[in-house]
Amino acid sequence: MRAFTILFAAFLIDPLFASDIDARQLVQQAMDHWRGLTSYSEMNMTIHRPDWERTMTMRSWSKGDKLSLVRVIEPKKDAGNGTLLNDNNMWTFTPKINRIIKVPSSMMSQSWLGSDFSNKDISKSTDIIDQYDHELTAQEERNGHLLYTITSIPHEDAAVVWGKEVLTVRDDFVLLEQQFWDQDGVLVKTLKTLEVAEMGGRPVAKIMRMGKLETPEEWTQLTASSVEFDLELPDNLFTLSNLRNPRR
Amino acid sequence: MAFSSNLPLAAMSRLAWRNLWRNHRRTLIMLLAISVGVWAMIFMTALMRGMVDQMIEDGIVALPGFVQIHHPGYRDDPSIENSLAPPGPRLLEALRDQEVSGWTTRVRVPAMISSERSSRGVTLLGVDPEGEIALGFDPASIVEGRFLESPEDKGLVIGRKLLERLETDLGKRVVVMSQDPDNDIADRGFRIVGVYKGKLEGLEEGFIYAGRSTVQLLLKMGQQISEIAIAGRDYRDVEQLYQLVNDAADEDSEVKPWGELDTYLGLMLGVMDGFVLVWVLIIFLALSFGLVNTLMMAVFERIREIGLMQALGMKPSAILYQVLLESLMLLTLGLLIGNLLAFLSVLPIRDGLDLSVVSQGMEMMGVSSVLYPALKLRDLVMANVVVIILGILTSLLPAWRASQYRPVEAISKT
Repeated sequence: MRAFTILFAAFLIDPLFASDIDARQLVQQAMDHWRGLTSYSEMNMTIHRPDWERTMTMRSWSKGDKLSLVRVIEPKKDAGNGTLLNDNNMWTFTPKINRIIKVPSSMMSQSWLGSDFSNKDISKSTDIIDQYDHELTAQEERNGHLLYTITSIPHEDAAVVWGKEVLTVRDDFVLLEQQFWDQDGVLVKTLKTLEVAEMGGRPVAKIMRMGKLETPEEWTQLTASSVEFDLELPDNLFTLSNLRNPRR
Repeated sequence: MAFSSNLPLAAMSRLAWRNLWRNHRRTLIMLLAISVGVWAMIFMTALMRGMVDQMIEDGIVALPGFVQIHHPGYRDDPSIENSLAPPGPRLLEALRDQEVSGWTTRVRVPAMISSERSSRGVTLLGVDPEGEIALGFDPASIVEGRFLESPEDKGLVIGRKLLERLETDLGKRVVVMSQDPDNDIADRGFRIVGVYKGKLEGLEEGFIYAGRSTVQLLLKMGQQISEIAIAGRDYRDVEQLYQLVNDAADEDSEVKPWGELDTYLGLMLGVMDGFVLVWVLIIFLALSFGLVNTLMMAVFERIREIGLMQALGMKPSAILYQVLLESLMLLTLGLLIGNLLAFLSVLPIRDGLDLSVVSQGMEMMGVSSVLYPALKLRDLVMANVVVIILGILTSLLPAWRASQYRPVEAISKT
């Protein structure tokens, strides 16, 4: 009887309204899934250009939606470079000049550590939840998983240049693809998950690649080598002094 | 002119005139040289004056305003921290004076504008559209869309060149990023509602207009503003306006006339006056060699004649005057033709000389591609006076030498 009531209630809810809620929740959950309450990961970032390629190894920590810290471990000449994010503010530390720089607004659209990610991409990854209207536009089944396609259109005054973003989320909340479309409806760049693996007790995107469609020979690939979720992280991890003098 | 000679002026003039046309080919060549020289002085000066006038007028449109009030630190560091409060009652009272033709307040901060494909550094102007138009923003320079309608307008007006650079279009959204007083990033999306065409590409690329209140809200600056711009009646004479505003403005603000705000433009105006004089003098210098040479030749040819006239009782001073008179006639004729030529060449281009062929080079200097010559009475008088006075002075040498021959030696010279 109880099951029947629930089923009945589900029919009563306006289907459009329901999909709105679902879409937003899906995005929220995909982001939560990716970051966890807290997370620690080790990854390689490969920057590929037609005539050269380089790889950096880095560690990153995150706590909640607002706090993240990324530190480069290898190669030696880049080791110690760090980025601290607190909400929309961003600081970088370069050991060579021994200085912490607060990234000013004028540098937000510049590339992060020479990659295809802009500082803005790094610092605003979770803004998509609140600054967009989400709509579930397609569902399909592939390899035993249900894939949701969500079209997200930024609010009128959102600090977003894109016309829309299209996200593909798997039913276990792994973000498979994030597409950035311009206002003329042309796809500009995509962040694609190339491999999903079980790490830190949940399926996560192991290899992700960011690239512009205009320049297919230029891309940046993030490969996670280990991920841990929901570990105990001290608050002083995400401070400027820790950015300068790593305690862990 | 009082002649201390024994010949009446009329007779002396006739003598001088006839002497002038004795060797008409030489005289014509000299006449040509003087005419072309005078033409160059006047015509080129008019062109340069026109160029500078325009640079300044365009510059004031970019500033714009003849006098501006800022926070004392703003000009060194035009950031949001150096803002000032909106005009108080005392200043408002002063701004009602008849010296003031328009005034407005604006927020003016460095910002980044980005589209999907590109981003650029610009100056974000949070303006009050009505005040801006009263001050000198020409609504006709909006080539697409519309200008802002109120300080609360949520749209953005950008330059045509910037639109091209950002690869975006009218009606699309762009993101404007700047910093709030706590140094935090302040950004929001704006829809482009209008595209303006500046006289210079540099302006089109550098300035974006948004509603003042919208910008104040974005930057969390309350009612604070960056500058108060005030326009008067004549940009050449801003002293009175400056005094008026300076007396009424708050003590902890900085009032500056445009000449000091844009020292380059201010200096241009001053340098131009000196430059015209130097230009006229240089041309005259070249002319004077020809003039002296011509007169010297005329005198040498007539040594026997001069000796004879002296022997018949003509005073040396009369000979001096006669040569001077000859030179004066030559100069006057040359000036007349030169002035006429200059007028004739300025006349067909007074509606502007299209220099779009070399417009890129001109823009680097801050000059737009249509040049309007400015023929000023002052420059005209100066060129003529310089030629007459210095011309007479240079012809003093040959004239004096002519008057100093001993009659006996002169007659016997072969």
